[in-house]
Amino acid sequence: MVVISKGVSTVPERIIRKKNDFTDDGKRRKNWSMERKKARWGWIFVAPTLLFFMVFSFYPMFNAFYMGLTKKDLLSLNPPKFIGVKNYTYLFKSADFWNSMKDTALFTLGTFLLLLVFSLILAAFIISRKKLKTLLQMLYYSPALLSSVVAALIWLLIFDPRGLANQTLNFICQSPGIDHKWLAASNMLRLSTIIVYFWKYIGYFTIIFVAGIGSIPISIHEAAEIDGASRWQDFWCITFPLIKPTTLLVSVMAMIQCLKTFSTQYLFTTAGAPTKPINVITLNIYNTAIRDHRIGRASAMSMILFLIMIVLTWFQFKISKSDDVTYM
Amino acid sequence: MKKGWYLLLLLILLVFPFQGLAAKKTVINYWTHTDDNRTRIEDKYIAEFEKLHPNVEIKRVVNEASKMGDIVLTAFAANNGPDIFNLPIEQEYGYICNKRVAPVDYRALGYKSLAALKDDYAANTFEPVTMNGKIYGLPLELTNWCIFINKKIFRSVGLDPEKDYPKTWEEMADVSEKLVLRNGEILIRRGFDFRYPYYLVSFLPMVQQLGGDLISADGKTAIVNDQAWIKALNFMKEWGPHGRNLGSPTYINARKIFDKDNNDIAMCLSGFYQEGRLKNDNPEFFDSGEWMVVPFPVFEDAVENQGCAFYGHYLMVNDSIPKKKQKIAWEFIKYMLDHPMEYLTEVNLIQPRKNLVNSEFFKELPYTDVFMDDMERSKAVFLHQNGYQFEQYIREAIEAVMLSGTKTEEALKTLKRNIQEVLDEE
Repeated sequence: MVVISKGVSTVPERIIRKKNDFTDDGKRRKNWSMERKKARWGWIFVAPTLLFFMVFSFYPMFNAFYMGLTKKDLLSLNPPKFIGVKNYTYLFKSADFWNSMKDTALFTLGTFLLLLVFSLILAAFIISRKKLKTLLQMLYYSPALLSSVVAALIWLLIFDPRGLANQTLNFICQSPGIDHKWLAASNMLRLSTIIVYFWKYIGYFTIIFVAGIGSIPISIHEAAEIDGASRWQDFWCITFPLIKPTTLLVSVMAMIQCLKTFSTQYLFTTAGAPTKPINVITLNIYNTAIRDHRIGRASAMSMILFLIMIVLTWFQFKISKSDDVTYM
Repeated sequence: MKKGWYLLLLLILLVFPFQGLAAKKTVINYWTHTDDNRTRIEDKYIAEFEKLHPNVEIKRVVNEASKMGDIVLTAFAANNGPDIFNLPIEQEYGYICNKRVAPVDYRALGYKSLAALKDDYAANTFEPVTMNGKIYGLPLELTNWCIFINKKIFRSVGLDPEKDYPKTWEEMADVSEKLVLRNGEILIRRGFDFRYPYYLVSFLPMVQQLGGDLISADGKTAIVNDQAWIKALNFMKEWGPHGRNLGSPTYINARKIFDKDNNDIAMCLSGFYQEGRLKNDNPEFFDSGEWMVVPFPVFEDAVENQGCAFYGHYLMVNDSIPKKKQKIAWEFIKYMLDHPMEYLTEVNLIQPRKNLVNSEFFKELPYTDVFMDDMERSKAVFLHQNGYQFEQYIREAIEAVMLSGTKTEEALKTLKRNIQEVLDEE
């Protein structure tokens, strides 16, 4: 009988640990000082990484927060002028900003759901194969190795009016000579960016799912088989619940990745595609800072994006009630 | 004996650091855009200059022209800009306004005064880079665009290129209609197509032909003469896939495929430098005499006979580097630019030097007369601290009408609002 339990520990680990630090007559155990020594060495070992993280991640974050409260021309030698929350009030009133929010939401929803569902299906497909598992994983993963710039350039050729995309679709639909305007019409352009992103990252998330599914003890599947479970029941009732932490990990990573999308949209717009339908927040941040030289406003936008990511990640953790899955 | 060792050690410690110091070279970082022909001759000048100045090392860094603006801007924003760089003047103007570039050191260039420097160049050469009586750059090139024509394609549809080439924008659309080849909605061959991202250079003059302008003379009001803008924007709308379907920004840049002569494009918009690239890329086509250059068209009801705006790439020096280094940078610029004939013959770049543009050799080069005549009826490109930003707003308006089917009046309203907002903030 397979039993799956979630959220196991009834006695918090720290209480057990504290209890073990003392002898029966209430004296502190000798190994306590040894643990402190180990902890000190631990701190020493992680210090370089922490320092690196503080310099290259925390400092830019705090700096962006500060810059978001200032007005500063990127080229000007004048120091930033403190203007409080004016950048934020401007953004919340700006039609351009809300258009970016809409474009980001459409892209994220479209890409994130596709990535989540199809990477799981592909992972299940790969795991179910008896042969060529490694080859399939390599094939699916290979687009992720390409730089986003190269990927977008390849797809630009495909989406060219005389390119493969029109030819293939017209062959399938038996509609010769139709220009589907992959890089021109608003909805087709949105679809094009979703296709590029999906193609590039599907393999990456598939590999994570493959690893997640592979970590489920084989004995559980065997037990289910003995109990007469079909392959579908095995997947739906055993595999799917047990890979919940992996699903959560993939969903959080895919969502953050989608919210941060930039290079595909940037390259498409520089190649002549209209900006408005794919003006995602990151592209707007770039244009505001580099084209308009308004680094303060761009920083405010990046802080808003940061907050959106934090809230959505928290929300995903909340709805998944994600305690560790254990096998009994 | 021990004392002797100590003395030797002391001597080594004293001498070696100074030797290192003496050998330390002054490194000049020079950032420029890709151009294989120019790279070839400038690499040669660098080697020669370094031989003349053994303590100087020139590091020439090449970037894609379309990316140069962003790369230089971010470097300057981080106070880590190159020592020497060049960009189109409409982008460089902001650097002058924000005092990020150094005034020309005319003494380092070997001139007795600024007037003597100006006297070496054609009239108005330094106008775009002059502020408060100081000059902030030396011209690498001064360019205007005309129409390049593939005669074979004209003849293939029964047109005589010498007589039937388009003189007006209306004719340009009609002639293109005859030249275009389509597979349904898909363009297999275009008659002509625009240089889409460069709207200040090629689109704004079309608006100006109709009596419009980007901002008012006092610099306070965005969009002068709505009707002129509406007509020009409507022309672009008709040009695009929602109109007569003659071209679109999503097709491959017309200038890049013109040289191939593979029946993809009959006409493109480009500068004199295109001849050098054509000679390099397809010498057979260059020598065939099957191409020609004609003037920039005007609208039938134009109120101003104006050609494509001329622009320049000026070599500038970073103001934040030490004065001594600035002097070396200007000396190096002077060394390079003292070969105007080679820039012309090898790269097809026109340095507006009097002795060059007045020479017989220059006048006899193919179609220099067309370019020079067009330049006479042209204005310099629109210059403003936020010029690059304005160009992107124009781009959004054109894309909106051409590709997204937005109403022209609506696109113009957005354009006006965006530019006015920038003007009001100044």
